[in-house]
Amino acid sequence: METFINPKSLFHLLLLPCLLLYSSIAYNSSPVEAAMHTNNWAVLVCTSRFWFNYRHMANTLSLYRTVKRLGIPDERIILMLADDMACNTRNKYPAQVFNNENHRLNLYGDNVEVDYRGYEVTVENFLRVLTGRHETAVPRSKRLLSDEGSHILLYMTGHGGDEFLKFQDSEELQSHDLADAVKQMKEKHRFKELLIMVDTCQAATLFNQLQSPGVLAIGSSMKGENSYSHHLDSDVGVSVVDRFTYYTLAFFERLNIYDNASLSSLFSSYNPSLLMSTAYYRKDLYKRRLEEVPVTNFFGSVMETIHTDAAYKALSRRNSGRFEDEMSLDQSVHHIERRMLIKVNDGYEIHDINPEGEEGASKCPWSTFRNKFQKAENVDSLVNYGLVAMIPLLVISTWLVQ
Amino acid sequence: MAEISEAPDSDSSKLFGSDSKAPQRPDSEPEFDPKLMRKTKPGLKRLFLTFSVLFSFLLGFPFLWKSVEIYRSPLPFREIDSLSTQLRSDTLLFPLHFHALFVGFDSDPDRLRWSILSEITKLTSQNPKCSDNYTLSVTVDLGSRCLRGRTSSPHSSSYQCGSVTGGDFVQNDDVAVDERLASVFGGKNNEYSMAVVKGVSERAVVGKYRHAWMVVGDGSDVEMAVVKVAEVLIKVFINGGREEGLIRNEFMPVGADGKIVLSFNLLNADPHDWVYDWDFEKIDDTLLTPMIEALGPVANISVESQVLYHTPKASFSYWNQKLESYVFSTKDLPFFVNSNEWHLDTSIAAGGRSKILQFAVYVPSAKECPLLLQLPNGEISKTNGFISPDLENMFEVFIGQFRQLFGFKSLNVYTGASGDWNLLPSERGFTEWELDVLSRQHTCFNLHSCATTLGSLSRLVQSLPRMIIKDEIGKQVKLSLEAAKLALSNASSGVYESSAASSSQARSLAEDAFFHPSIMSVSYYSFEHCFAVYSPFFLPVSMHVVLAALRELRRYKQEKAKYLAWKAKANTAT
Repeated sequence: METFINPKSLFHLLLLPCLLLYSSIAYNSSPVEAAMHTNNWAVLVCTSRFWFNYRHMANTLSLYRTVKRLGIPDERIILMLADDMACNTRNKYPAQVFNNENHRLNLYGDNVEVDYRGYEVTVENFLRVLTGRHETAVPRSKRLLSDEGSHILLYMTGHGGDEFLKFQDSEELQSHDLADAVKQMKEKHRFKELLIMVDTCQAATLFNQLQSPGVLAIGSSMKGENSYSHHLDSDVGVSVVDRFTYYTLAFFERLNIYDNASLSSLFSSYNPSLLMSTAYYRKDLYKRRLEEVPVTNFFGSVMETIHTDAAYKALSRRNSGRFEDEMSLDQSVHHIERRMLIKVNDGYEIHDINPEGEEGASKCPWSTFRNKFQKAENVDSLVNYGLVAMIPLLVISTWLVQ
Repeated sequence: MAEISEAPDSDSSKLFGSDSKAPQRPDSEPEFDPKLMRKTKPGLKRLFLTFSVLFSFLLGFPFLWKSVEIYRSPLPFREIDSLSTQLRSDTLLFPLHFHALFVGFDSDPDRLRWSILSEITKLTSQNPKCSDNYTLSVTVDLGSRCLRGRTSSPHSSSYQCGSVTGGDFVQNDDVAVDERLASVFGGKNNEYSMAVVKGVSERAVVGKYRHAWMVVGDGSDVEMAVVKVAEVLIKVFINGGREEGLIRNEFMPVGADGKIVLSFNLLNADPHDWVYDWDFEKIDDTLLTPMIEALGPVANISVESQVLYHTPKASFSYWNQKLESYVFSTKDLPFFVNSNEWHLDTSIAAGGRSKILQFAVYVPSAKECPLLLQLPNGEISKTNGFISPDLENMFEVFIGQFRQLFGFKSLNVYTGASGDWNLLPSERGFTEWELDVLSRQHTCFNLHSCATTLGSLSRLVQSLPRMIIKDEIGKQVKLSLEAAKLALSNASSGVYESSAASSSQARSLAEDAFFHPSIMSVSYYSFEHCFAVYSPFFLPVSMHVVLAALRELRRYKQEKAKYLAWKAKANTAT
C-alpha cells in the first residue's frame, strides 16, 4: 500500500501556502504609488562666451523657442545664456539672432526671458539651480520650482570633452558633479522624469556617471568624436547652428501642439552621416519604453484642467444686503488719469480709485493749485512749473542790475 | 660634515705628528688609527640640534592638522533615525471620540454600540501612514431617563439628559438646529457627536461644528440608522468627504515653508473697450480674512492682488447662435492661459519655497462678449461665466476652487452609499470638522515629509565626510526634531491645531536645513586638493629635516663606536 503522503506531494502542499504568503507579502510591501505627471520644466544652458561661439547661443535660443511654442510657459523655463550675441558689437544685425543663413527666423524677437545672463552662468549657479540650494534672496523666476510630478528637460550646449563641459572658458562641469546633482534631485523628489540633451564634443561622456532612475540622456557624439556645426552664415560671419540641434529643430518644426510623435522617433531621426557623429542615448535608467513616450511629455506642455463644479454658497446668506460692492466700471473717460494714478502707486498694491472729476471744483485758485500740486504725480510738469516761475524772477533781477 | 669631523682628528693627528719629534713614548701606548678611533667622547650638541628641529616639526604637526580640519557641526544622526523608524513602525494615531445619541428610540445602547462598531470596521480602509484611534459611546434618551452604554474611553459624556427632544427638529431651519445642538454638545476638539431623532420628515444634515443629526421617520428601523451613522462618522468626519485620505505630494497646496500666497488677478483683455476694477480691500476684510484665520494652523496665508490690462487670451472661441454668446470648450482650457501676455508671476512677497496660488478673473474684450465655457457634456458651466460683475458670486467660486485644492467638494450634499447628507457651509469657508480633517492630514503629511528630508540630509552629510556643515544647519535640525516631537505628542493627545502648526514648522525647518545654500559639492575641499596645497612646502622640508636627523644619528653612532673601540684598545693595552 502506498503511503498517501510522500515527500513530493508534501513539498507541493507546502509550496502552495508559501506562494500565497509570498504573493500577499509582495502585495503588502508594494512601493508607494508613483506620482502623477503634473507639469513640465525646461532648463536650457548655453555655456560659451565670445562671438565665435554664436552657434551655441543660437542653439539654445532655438530650443527655447521650440519649447515655448509647444506650450511650456516662461515661468517654467530657466534660460542661461553665458554671453550676449544679439547686442554684441560685432553683430551686423543688432538685436537679432538667427539660426539659419536664410534669416527667416529671428530667435531673439519678443518675449525672450533670460534668467541667468553673462557671468551669472557658472558651474556653481547651475548646480544650485538643479539642487535648489539658493540664497534666500534669489527670486522665484531664477529657481527651479519643480516637484514630484515634474518632467524636466535639461539641454546643455557649448564646448565639452571627455567627462566634462566647459563653462565660460574658465571652469568645468565634471560628469560626477552632474551625476551627484541629479542624485540629490532624485533624493528630494524634484523630478519625475529627466531628459538630458547635450550638444558638445564627446557629449555622451558627460552622463557616464549617472545612476538615478528616471533619467534619459542623449548626447550628440560619443567619446572621441567631435560635434560639428551645420553651416556658416557668410553674412553674420560665423557658424549659426550645430548639426545635432539643427536636426532636432527640423524634427520639431514638423510638429504642432496636438501631435504625439514619440521619443523613439526623435532619437531615430538622427542620421550619423548627416550629423558627422553618432548621437548616443542612454536609456538603461529609464523604465518606460521610448515608443510610448510622446515628445510633448518633455518638450511641450498640455496641462490637465479640473472644472470647479460648484461655488461655496456660504457667504450670500450672511452678507446679503450688507455687502453691495461691485466692480466699478468706468467707461467714461479718464483713462489716462487712471493709468497715471496706477503708475504712481506701487504696482502690486491695491488702491481705491477715486473718480477723478468728482472732487468739487473749487473756485478758490489757491486750493485748486494746492490740489494740483498734491496730485502732480508727474515730476516733469512740476519742474516745468518751477522753471516758468523762475523766468519773471530772472527778468526782474536783470532789470534791477541794469 | 664628515670633513669637519675629520678636521680635528687630522689636527690632533698633526699635533701628534708634531709631537712625534718629541722623545719616543713608551711602547705601552696602543696604535691609534684616527679612522677607526677617537679619543674623546663624541658630543651631543649636533644631535640635539637636529633632533630638536625634527621634534618641533613633529610637535607642530597636530596643530597643522587641526588648522585644516573641516568644521562640521555635529548632527544628531541617531535621533533622526529614531524619528524615521518611529514614524514608519508605529503609525501615527489620532485619538477620536464619537458620541451617538438616539432620541425617541427604545433600544439597548450596548447593542447599538456594537452594531455601529461593526459597521465602522466594515468601512475603515487600511491607511498605512496615519490612522485614527477612535472610541465610541452611545446614549439613548428616552425622555424621562437616559441609558448610557458602556464606553471604553475615559471621556465622560457631558450630555445632559433631556436636552435634545424631537421638538427641536420640527422646523426646517438647519442653521438654528445646528446652533442649538452646538450649545448642547459642546464640540470639543476631538469629539464628534451624532444625534438620531425620530420625527416626522426625514432629513440628514451635517452641521458646521462637530456634530451631525438625522431625523428618521416613524416607520424606519434602527438598523438603517446605524448604517448611516457609521457612514457619516467615517466618510465625513474622518475622511472629509473624499474617497482616499492621503495627500499626494504633487497636489499639496501648502509650500515647503508652510506658506501659501493667494494671488488674485483681474485681467482686462482690451482696455479700449472697457476697464474694470475692484475694491479688493473690502473683499479681503469681509470674505478672506475669516478664512485665512481659520486656516492658521494649517498654513500661513498671505494675499496679494493686482489688476492687469491688455491681457488677451491665447485660445479662440466661436459664436454660438443658440446661446447668443461666444463659447469655448474645456479642450481649449489648457491654452486659455496666455503666459506670454499674462504676467501673473510677479509676486515679491513669496519666498522661494512658498506656493503661489493664482486666481484670475478674465474680462473679455467687446469682440468676445459674452463668453461662456462649455463643458464636455454639452452644458454651459455655471461657475465660470458671469454676465454681470458680481464680486460676491465670484468670490464664492474662488472659495470653491480653493477648497478643491484642499480636497473638499463644495456641493452642499454628500452622497453616501446609504443616503444623502446635507452639509452646512460655514462663513469661514471651512467648517470645524473640515478643519480637523485638514489638521490631521497635514500633520501626517508634514511629519512624514520632515522625517524623509532629515533622513536624506543625514545620508548626504555622512556620504561627504569633507563637507563643511555650518552651525546654522545643526541648529535647524535640532529645532526641527523638537518641533516634530512636540507635534507627535500633541497629535497623540488629540490637540490637532497645535500639532498641525508644530508639524508644519518641523517640515519647514527640515527643508531649510536640507536646502541650506552652503551644502554645495563644488565648494568643499577634497583630499586631493588639501594634498596639492600643502605638499609642495611640507614634503621637501620634512624630507630634509628627517634625512638630517637620520644622518646625525648615524654619525653619532659611528663616532661612539670609534670612541668605544679606542677605549677598548686602551683598556686592553693597560
